[in-house]
Amino acid sequence: MPELEFTPVIGIEIHIRLKTKTKIFCSCSTNTDVPPNTHVCPVCMGLPGSLPRLNYEVVQQGMLAGMALNCEVQPKSLFFRKSYFYPDLPKGHQISQCDLPIVAGGFIEVHDENGNLKKIRVNHLHLEEDVGSLHHSASDGRLEGAAISYVDYNRSGMPLAEIVSEPDVSSAKEAVEYVTTLRRRVIYSGASDVELEKGMMRFDANVSMKCSDGRWGRKVEVKNMNSFHALEKAIEYEIKRQKKIMLQGGEILQETRHWNDAKGVTTASRVKEFYRKFIVEPDLPPLIISQEWIDKTKAMFPEMPDVRARRYVNEFKLTPEAADMLTDNKALADYFEACVKAGAEPVRASHWVRTEVLRILNEKALKIDSFNITPDSLANLIKRIDAGKISTTQAKEVFDAMTNNNLSLDEAIKSCGITEGGIVGDALSSIIQKVIAENPDVLAEIKSGKDTKGKKLKFLQGLVMKETKGQAKPQEVAEALTKALN
Amino acid sequence: MQLYELNLHEMIEGLKAKKFSADELLTSCQNRIDSLEKNLNALITRLDDKKISNPSGILAGVPTILKDNICTRDIKTTAASKILGEWKPPYDATVWKLLRDAGSVLIGKANLDEFAMGSSCTKSAYGATKNPHDISRVPGGSSGGSAAAVAAGYVPFSLGSDTGGSIRQPASLCGVYGFKPTYGMVSRYGLISYGSSLDQIGPFARTVRDLQIVMSVLAHHDEMDSSSFREKNYDFSYDESKLNLKGKKIALVKEFQSFNLEPSIANAMDKIKKILEDEGAEIIEVSLPVVSKYSLACYYALAMSEAHTNLERYDGVRYGYTVQDASGLKEMFERVRSYGFGPEVKYRIIAGTCLTEPSRCDEYYVAATKVRTLVAQEFARAFTQTDFILQPAASSKAPKINELDQIDELKSYEADLYTLPVNLAGLPGLSFFTGYDDDNLPVGLQLIGARWSDPEILNAGIVIENHTGSPKIANGGLN
Amino acid sequence: MKLTKEEVNDIALESRLVLTEKELEGTVKFINNFLTMLDSFKELDLKDVEPFSFAETLECPLRADEIHPFENTQGIINQSAHVEDNLFKVPRIMEAQ
Repeated sequence: MPELEFTPVIGIEIHIRLKTKTKIFCSCSTNTDVPPNTHVCPVCMGLPGSLPRLNYEVVQQGMLAGMALNCEVQPKSLFFRKSYFYPDLPKGHQISQCDLPIVAGGFIEVHDENGNLKKIRVNHLHLEEDVGSLHHSASDGRLEGAAISYVDYNRSGMPLAEIVSEPDVSSAKEAVEYVTTLRRRVIYSGASDVELEKGMMRFDANVSMKCSDGRWGRKVEVKNMNSFHALEKAIEYEIKRQKKIMLQGGEILQETRHWNDAKGVTTASRVKEFYRKFIVEPDLPPLIISQEWIDKTKAMFPEMPDVRARRYVNEFKLTPEAADMLTDNKALADYFEACVKAGAEPVRASHWVRTEVLRILNEKALKIDSFNITPDSLANLIKRIDAGKISTTQAKEVFDAMTNNNLSLDEAIKSCGITEGGIVGDALSSIIQKVIAENPDVLAEIKSGKDTKGKKLKFLQGLVMKETKGQAKPQEVAEALTKALN
Repeated sequence: MQLYELNLHEMIEGLKAKKFSADELLTSCQNRIDSLEKNLNALITRLDDKKISNPSGILAGVPTILKDNICTRDIKTTAASKILGEWKPPYDATVWKLLRDAGSVLIGKANLDEFAMGSSCTKSAYGATKNPHDISRVPGGSSGGSAAAVAAGYVPFSLGSDTGGSIRQPASLCGVYGFKPTYGMVSRYGLISYGSSLDQIGPFARTVRDLQIVMSVLAHHDEMDSSSFREKNYDFSYDESKLNLKGKKIALVKEFQSFNLEPSIANAMDKIKKILEDEGAEIIEVSLPVVSKYSLACYYALAMSEAHTNLERYDGVRYGYTVQDASGLKEMFERVRSYGFGPEVKYRIIAGTCLTEPSRCDEYYVAATKVRTLVAQEFARAFTQTDFILQPAASSKAPKINELDQIDELKSYEADLYTLPVNLAGLPGLSFFTGYDDDNLPVGLQLIGARWSDPEILNAGIVIENHTGSPKIANGGLN
Repeated sequence: MKLTKEEVNDIALESRLVLTEKELEGTVKFINNFLTMLDSFKELDLKDVEPFSFAETLECPLRADEIHPFENTQGIINQSAHVEDNLFKVPRIMEAQ
């Protein structure tokens, strides 16, 4: 009997917080760094009589995020009310575009197990409101066993995009690549910062198994993953669990399971599946997006990181690794391109950005936006190396001085005591004269002809080099020294 | 003559001419309430006498009453439900802001059927309101308190809300004018929702001219309400040159003509038809087959589907009635909602939940949204043939309170057939006074117009009023 | 009979309403009559009719992304009997079924 093979069939739902100043349906700030229940108003608290008002920027960001997923903007979309009772949901329903979304029909490319590119289809992205946050008073802070919960509605009404994939994902590895690539592209589009540590990206996965004997397992919804790692582990766990049951001839129950990050397992949810039904949100007429607006958004849509990396390889002759590294962060890639635009040679600029700039950013825990060396200054520094005015070693010293002491390029060069173009001619002669004068015994020895191996001459040469702080060319020093001694 | 008996435009003129002061007017109205409120129970909340200092604006110093589903900051707002408890909204409804900015003085919050669900004003957690023309009868509803208050002379005008006839029907039963504006004409911000896509705020008054004054204050674009009109401007000023119906077409609905009307209503129809013809208007017939046959089912399907989601927020966590000793969240929600909502509201919540369940949603809820499209299209076609539609505002005179129990729930819904299609299509409708029947009860009828024809309907209403005369103030059970 | 007592009771519980026996009986009758009334929709050909119509064929207005803090947040908080340290306190969410 041939061994049974199992193919995981995985769909992923992602929630991303969109980048706006105010909430989706009211003018409260989206800044969460405030005491509980202070950024609230009648609308996001669901008070009787209040009405939602859609934020322009949420629509704009939704379009950009959708374009980052290769989706088409829909000219007409609609909001619905998704009902369930929960204390973090102040109206008892969530306003969501679930049925008629703003963008639909895209894809994200990932590598399959053979390293070939594979499209994960994106069914749609829709706009919706976030719910409040719950704090549990159980000793371990978790839901289960908590006797009392506390609700903070600051998060209620934050703008979210829910991204729903088709069940095209076949492994935990593909899932991680899908969400990583997706995240990078969305950040690039400017629609969201997707800061994982701030909970701006949350995952649910629908996992089922297809067996080579023709059996299909039922779909299990796995919730509560807040990091790439958790997503990967949860899917791996769920695949293993379902496979085991099916191998034993058991049935997979259609259920919702929660990922327990601490224990590394999924557990069946004790909460009865939320009862969900939709009606049209009668307080929000259809969202109509004009072709003009779509065109305008396309014009402002930035080059995506993978496209950009390919261009760096072709146009700037960077290695694929260097191109990937630079384009991972849009601001860093923008910085690099600004350097190139200011005249720096691309390969050298790429090297400087990836090594020196990143080193400083790491050391000082800075973001590129707040880095104090402008792309123009870095380009000028690189240009001076290329023109032979300063050495690479000197340049690094100058670079450190610029960033540490907040100096301009010329100030830094001066503070490092560097003479551009090196020490030559009269300057070199006077240093040589000084060294000779300070070392009469060595001079005498050379003059006596005992220095047959030229050791003493090398010694003097070393002293001169030291005196010039390495700013003279050894060849020139040797020649000038020999000349001075004769 | 007492000051409270003056109509709104007479009060405004009198105050302007300093014939009396705003304080004298206020006192007169308060005294009227003092003497009648125990008979009528029109108000849920009365507001203290306040000396009026330097009123300004078009309604300067004029007292008013709002239906108690309109939010007023720091003033208890109940929607006539136990579930809202002692809730004091932290904000004002836009309509109240507009009236207050125009100088009006709030002296009470009016009784209603709980969450505006009903047409009798008896289904209130605060007791039934009585009809000021006969206190053994209902005032109609759901805006029964607002209608009774104006009919009894508490105030010259009040605000109600109309989801399926809740302004027009009580106006008719109480013998006052009631106007349901085009959906979107008046901001709903701060109106506690029942059926959001049907709800509209509008005024009651004792003359049509007074309705014009109130509408001129209320009809403004409000950015807080996404369904509020934009771009256009509407002129509600009183202009004699516009009071002319010559050549206008006024239609009767063909399908309603086979209905057996109560004699008083049939007589009123004949009387008004004659007045209109005398004014040079042409009476025609329009056919509304879908409207007449399906709008009742369509209306209740939509109203209940929307209502049950609008009422999901009442869980006892953030405001209103609550319990402190629930052992779990589900228990808390169940106890709060089971105690807080009255029977009619529970019916509608459960019906709405039932219709929108995934297994029934397409068959009932989605189908109803499609029927609504047909209803709106049918009305739009009709208004290419006619300027206005004339029909009753209620199917009978005001029922006796003690006879209500005998009316079957769904039968009482049928009574709304004359009013609720107007809400499905978002049309404006004026309920106007025609005279008194043999029992000395007022009889009202309704004039319906195309969307945004609000000023024209009110002008037509004045023409009719010039023939019928304005209603008298009801005695409110005083002998 | 379209819906049984049990089904209606389940729907009521989904709406977080616990009905007395008398209320339940009335509701069952009401709901079943009501659904019968709605069956009249089947007489209409709705296949090509636009669903989700609005009273006015408006398009959704869009608000500028500008912060306008609500000035009376305390007025919101003060209305709850469950506030502790500016948080809303609710009983345990998971309960024994």
